[in-house]
Amino acid sequence: MIDMTLLSALADSAFFWGAFVFMVACSIAGLGAIRLALKGEAVTSLMGVSAFTTVAGVCLYLIQIIFDVEFARDTAIALLVLGAVGTIVFARLFRMEEGR
Amino acid sequence: MSAEVFVAIYAIAIMGFVAWNVRRGAFVIDPSKLAPILIFIFLVLVVVLNYAGLNPSIAAGTLMKIGAAGILFAGTIPMISAAVGLFRFGDEFGPNIFYARNHITGVIDTVASLVMIFAGLLIYHLDLVAVGFFFFVLIPYSGNALANAYYYSYQRRLGK
Repeated sequence: MIDMTLLSALADSAFFWGAFVFMVACSIAGLGAIRLALKGEAVTSLMGVSAFTTVAGVCLYLIQIIFDVEFARDTAIALLVLGAVGTIVFARLFRMEEGR
Repeated sequence: MSAEVFVAIYAIAIMGFVAWNVRRGAFVIDPSKLAPILIFIFLVLVVVLNYAGLNPSIAAGTLMKIGAAGILFAGTIPMISAAVGLFRFGDEFGPNIFYARNHITGVIDTVASLVMIFAGLLIYHLDLVAVGFFFFVLIPYSGNALANAYYYSYQRRLGK
C-alpha cells in the first residue's frame, strides 16, 4: 500500500527544488545579461536588458507558483510581454538612421 | 529525508542526461523515441498506483508535478551553459561577436519559454502556458530586430 501523503510530499519537494535550482541558474544567466547590458554599445545593452527581463520574469512566475505571491505573476507577465515588445520597438528605432 | 534523497537522485539523473546531450552536441536518444517512452512510463506508473489503491486522477496529477520538476531540472543545464557563454565571449573577439551573443540570449529566451510552456502544461497553469507561447512566438522577431539594428548601425559607423 502506497501512502498518498508521502507521494504528495515527494512531488511537492521535487517541484520546489526544481524551481529553486532553475531560479539559481536564471540568476547566473541574469548576471551575464547585466554584464552585457553594461557594455558601451547601445544595441548590446538592449540585448542584455532583454535577456535580463526574461530571466527576471521567469523567476517571478516561479515565485508566484511556489509561494502564492499574486502580484509576482502580474509583474512577470508585464516583464515578459513588454520586454519582448519593447526590444523589437527599440531595435527598430536603432535601425533607423540618426536624425530621421 | 527520503523525499530529499529521491529529489537529489532525480535531479542528478536528469541534469546528467541533459549535460551528456549538450556535451555530445546531438540527441543521445531521439526525441521521437524519448517522448513515447516517457508517456508509456507515465501510464504504467498511473496504473500501478491505481492498483495500489490511489485515485487515478490524483496519482496522475502527482506524477505530472514530478515531471514538471524534471522539466525545471532539465532547463538548468542550457541556462548555465548560456551564462558561461555570455561570460566567456568578451570584446576581444571582434565586432562580429555580437551575433554569437545574440544567439546565446536567444538560447536563454528559448529555454525560459519552453520551460514555461511544458511546466505550465504539467501543473495545469494555463496562464503560464499562454505567456510562454506568446513569448516563444516573439523570440525570433526580437533576435532578428537586434541583429538587423546592429548590422545597420555598424555599416553606418564604417561609412563615417
